[in-house]
Amino acid sequence: MWLPQPVHALPERLAQLIWGWALAWWRIVYLGAVVLVLVLSPSSYSRVGRHLLARRMYLDTLPILLGFTALAALLSLIITRIVVVTALSYGLSRYALEMVIRVLVLELIPLTAAMFVAMRCAIPSGAQLAQLRRSGRLVVLERTGADPVRMELLPRVVAAGFASVTLAALSCVVALAMAYFSVFGLGTAGLVSFTRMFGHVFSPEVTLVFVLKTVFFSLAIAVIPMTAGMYDLGASERRSERGGLARMFAVLLLIELVSLVGNYY
Amino acid sequence: MTSENPPPPLDAALHQDELIRPVAHLRLKAFALLVFTLLLVVGSALYLLYARGAFEPTQRLVLKADDSEGVVVGMDMTFSGFPIGRVRRIELASDGSARILIDVPQKDAHWLRQSSVFTLVRGIVGGTGIRAYTGIMNDPPLQDGAERPVLRGDATAEIPQLMASARELLSNLTAMTDPDAALGASLGNVRTLTERLQGPGGALSVLMGGDADAKKIVQTLDRTNALLARIDRMAAHADEQVFGKEGVMPEARATVVELRKLLADARTSLTKVDAVLVEAQAVGANVREGTTDLGALRADVEASLRKVDSLVNDINRRWPFAREKEMVLP
Repeated sequence: MWLPQPVHALPERLAQLIWGWALAWWRIVYLGAVVLVLVLSPSSYSRVGRHLLARRMYLDTLPILLGFTALAALLSLIITRIVVVTALSYGLSRYALEMVIRVLVLELIPLTAAMFVAMRCAIPSGAQLAQLRRSGRLVVLERTGADPVRMELLPRVVAAGFASVTLAALSCVVALAMAYFSVFGLGTAGLVSFTRMFGHVFSPEVTLVFVLKTVFFSLAIAVIPMTAGMYDLGASERRSERGGLARMFAVLLLIELVSLVGNYY
Repeated sequence: MTSENPPPPLDAALHQDELIRPVAHLRLKAFALLVFTLLLVVGSALYLLYARGAFEPTQRLVLKADDSEGVVVGMDMTFSGFPIGRVRRIELASDGSARILIDVPQKDAHWLRQSSVFTLVRGIVGGTGIRAYTGIMNDPPLQDGAERPVLRGDATAEIPQLMASARELLSNLTAMTDPDAALGASLGNVRTLTERLQGPGGALSVLMGGDADAKKIVQTLDRTNALLARIDRMAAHADEQVFGKEGVMPEARATVVELRKLLADARTSLTKVDAVLVEAQAVGANVREGTTDLGALRADVEASLRKVDSLVNDINRRWPFAREKEMVLP
């Protein structure tokens, strides 16, 4: 059978696949390190830098804050109700609230917040970056002496990370309030026992895992989609974006798995 | 990040929209957002510290147990169902026992007294619980760092024993309900017994063991009845002889009447004897008085005699014919 193009041998294709995979992961790690260095660098907070950062943080966080808070409240209310009623039917109501806090605050809310920010902010920002790259905006910036990473990438990454942390914190507070109100009703009668149980669940180890998980979730959803938009992998853009999404979900899954292992093993 | 082709002309509409769109009071809003997030995080951290008891002065209580299984750091110690302490550390003592270090907030420490008792209870469902009981609230309060033994109550530990007992009970039941078992034989005997009870001899044949013996019993009863009839007749005759007109009882009654008369006569005689005795008593009294006068008379006579004697002696001395009373020596 005659083919118009030469067919790559299997080892060659495998080598290309591994090379592309390693290059993508390396770029993620490299860009993450670059962003971290820039975040810690005082020169990133010049007047223009501050303005860019403030604008992106504001535009990325505020529009989704109320919507996600309402969603988190609804989700918390439903899950709390289900867990409490189920626990009551098995005679285990004393464990219901602890289970709600563990399931909602420790596991579900940070992951949901990260995914929500990824969908609403980080992935669109990555697409914007890709569009800027394709339109030559980044090259123009580079030629005029400006750093495209600082001008375009850093504000988007910081804004996505900030949005993720803010949403996670706010929705955790809302979930706690919803759990309290759905179990104890409106009033402060159960506040002492609720506080004690909260302190019982959030042992130092669990708190550390929770904080690390939230930070790494934010980093993952902020850096990985931007990397996919920032670099041209040579293949088609859609394939590059799909690869970025897959890598982001893989990293989120890995972080969640590690946190579960850290909490319960 | 880099492209080999020369850059295409900028998409002016996109960048005008993305980069130049103004946000009113941007700095203020961004600052407020930052402060809000910071407050959320710091507030959550402070609440967590408060919930973990970081701002509460506590006192230490050490519970000594032979086994700390089920006890975890962070679990509560309850008093009347209310948590009043939290396990901070569990360590192995030098003697091999477990030391459970509990922090009790000072505002709740007054529930614990010197005589308080601590138990470590492990339920079948759910976790282990440490409970404190205080019977005498007037006792002095428990000191900081006090060491107390903890009593273990393990519901699951009794399960093997319970299972062994249940198994033994079931095996006994099986042995009892076995076709060759004593219970089965007993039930068979009971059935035979009831059949014999319903038979001609009834309970009597069951008791005597056979129909012949049962008949003997019946005959004995008949003879006993005849004997009783004869005894009845004998009793009638005896009644006639004792209580009849010519019987013993009327004569006995007449004898009693005569005896009563005799007793009356005797009583009269005794009355007379009594009067005689009174008289004799009076005579005796007179004699006693006479005897007393005789004593005085005798004394007078003795005095007169002594006077006569002294008078005779005096006459003898004065008498001229008095005999010589000088003693002559040879």
